[in-house]
Amino acid sequence: MPAILRRRPPQAAEPRTHPDAAGPAASPTGSLMLLTLLALAVILSIPAARAGDVRSADMLAHTCAGCHGTDGASAGAAMPSIAGFDKGYLVTVLTDYKTGLRPSTIMGRIMRGYTDQEIAAIAGWFAARPWVSTDRPVDGQIAHQGEQIHERACATCHADGGRDQDQASPRLAGQWAPYTRYALETCRAQGMRCQPRKMAERVLELSDAELAALAHYYESQK
Amino acid sequence: MRIPTRHTPVGSGAEQPSKRLDQPEPPLPVAAQRRRFLGAGASALAAAALGAGGWLVPSGSARAQAAAPGPKARVVVVGGGYGGAIAAKYLKLADPDIRVTLIERNPRYVSCPLSNEVISGERDIESLTFDYRGLTRRGIAVMQDEIVAIDPDAHYVRGAGGARYNYDKLILSPGVSFDYDPIDGMSEAVAETTIPHAWKAGPQTLLLRRQLEAMPDGGVVAIVAPPNPFRCPPGPYERAAQMALYFQHHKPKSKVLILDAKDAFSKQRLFQAGWQEHYGDMIEWVPAAGGGTIEAIDPKTRTLTGLVEDFQADVVNLIPHQRAARLAVDAGLTDSSGWCPVNQQTFESAQAPDIHIIGDAAIAGAMPKSGYAANAQGKVCAAAVAAAVNGEPPPAPSYVNTCYSILAPDHGISVAGVYRLQDGRITPVPDAGGLSALDADPRTRAAEVEFAIGWFRNITADMFT
Repeated sequence: MPAILRRRPPQAAEPRTHPDAAGPAASPTGSLMLLTLLALAVILSIPAARAGDVRSADMLAHTCAGCHGTDGASAGAAMPSIAGFDKGYLVTVLTDYKTGLRPSTIMGRIMRGYTDQEIAAIAGWFAARPWVSTDRPVDGQIAHQGEQIHERACATCHADGGRDQDQASPRLAGQWAPYTRYALETCRAQGMRCQPRKMAERVLELSDAELAALAHYYESQK
Repeated sequence: MRIPTRHTPVGSGAEQPSKRLDQPEPPLPVAAQRRRFLGAGASALAAAALGAGGWLVPSGSARAQAAAPGPKARVVVVGGGYGGAIAAKYLKLADPDIRVTLIERNPRYVSCPLSNEVISGERDIESLTFDYRGLTRRGIAVMQDEIVAIDPDAHYVRGAGGARYNYDKLILSPGVSFDYDPIDGMSEAVAETTIPHAWKAGPQTLLLRRQLEAMPDGGVVAIVAPPNPFRCPPGPYERAAQMALYFQHHKPKSKVLILDAKDAFSKQRLFQAGWQEHYGDMIEWVPAAGGGTIEAIDPKTRTLTGLVEDFQADVVNLIPHQRAARLAVDAGLTDSSGWCPVNQQTFESAQAPDIHIIGDAAIAGAMPKSGYAANAQGKVCAAAVAAAVNGEPPPAPSYVNTCYSILAPDHGISVAGVYRLQDGRITPVPDAGGLSALDADPRTRAAEVEFAIGWFRNITADMFT
């Protein structure tokens, strides 16, 4: 259960107080007067626009659920599940959306609303959620075709049937096939601008049917 | 105004609702009852209203203090839609020790988003219908009842049959009500039988669908669009596209006429380009400046009286002027605008403590009255209520809006907004959010339809599972 609340002593109850103001000093045995003065000193030392403005990871990440599902487990085939993704990978992707390096229909518009620190907080929050694979059966024959493409072109980086992940490679196993296919098609449409280059080289050679088969295969892996 | 003493409940009404059902109501008009009910302020009433173990039990209530330990706090959520279902769920997630009761008048919920596809025949209304078992499984008490009165002093709400629900904190997500007065000839009865607004998904959605099916080819359907602010700003214009989609395949000589009380609307250029691309001149928009404002209707002849000229249509879909739901109006939670002013960090009413208002009924700064906005507000409000219950200050809020419109099976458009609190007001983050590109390629347009459907699956799963 994610904790939503940040504890602060009652004296720091002014809503626009910087949350860090009372953080480390929030001992119940501390001098309340001293705390108040310390809090005031911190408030006065930071720009007014930042006061009370640091938003928790819970608060930031919960707004994503309308499109990516509660706790990042997507219920919609066109949106990826993002729970349990590598934090570094998420930071890279969300930042690339923000800067426009990674093309998108809507993610760029949304990510431009967040600071780098907030993006890191969102990424860390989703990285800490459990991965949830899709729960529907997949066409076995198409998945088999996809597996052969995977072994030939993808398995070096997306190891263990797409279960392995790291800062550069997202988990693919159990992901919605329509999303994976769309992402692969987007990469192919970008040509050599698609990152990383070694992926672009491989994806460019695949047909629509091969991309679909590959996506099916990954969804079949749980 | 004072509540009559015979209204004063005896004991904890929530534990014995059946007794109250037997009590005769005073022979007052309902609205008058509500006003008097709201005016209750006697401290004896307050003591009686707070049940055993209540979080805010006043000192001196020996009965309450003698009782076994109860919940940390009782939160009642009224309205089980895009805002209320989310507030209830995320409150329970934030603090399982809070006792959460969700009160909704219907046993099942029908989503307004995507309901324009029911009108066009692209979708079955069952695909938009949800029950509340996912929330009960989370430990939320879901009550089917219609709340007709709020007593902010004694901290309880009352159901239509007299059942009483005590709260320490109340969250209202009651939606909108319709103001038929500005258009002569309109009434709730006319809307339900002849001139559907279909602005709450359900029977009127199906009525409008049947009217389109019965309309002869070459007919004209008039959509009368309301002035701002209103629920779902792009909705009337998506509806026009969906109607045209149906006509294109079944009644290609027909027209959609939008008679607007405004001179501009949401995603306007994207809509107008999409209409032209798919439906040519089938859709005509008449802005206020062009005589689009409608003042009267004859429901029998379907004649609309405009400021400049009259219009005749075969089917009329008149979307009335809107304000906050009647419950909020009757409880005195609205201001002169007809909507509820709130603290935009906590959504606590500016007019009554311990009552929070979210969703379409609330005045939420720059946020539109959309399903996603209600979802975001429900989460901010839940976090603020959980903090208050635990004696903590409200957390810094974050708000997002995302709204898709489907113009054709392969043509979707969207608007997004990212907001933060600035000087007490929900304010767009500069350079973030905005519209789909005007020059987007067909692949992007098609992808936005898939994302619209994925959006719907995820946001409803967020509400009901």
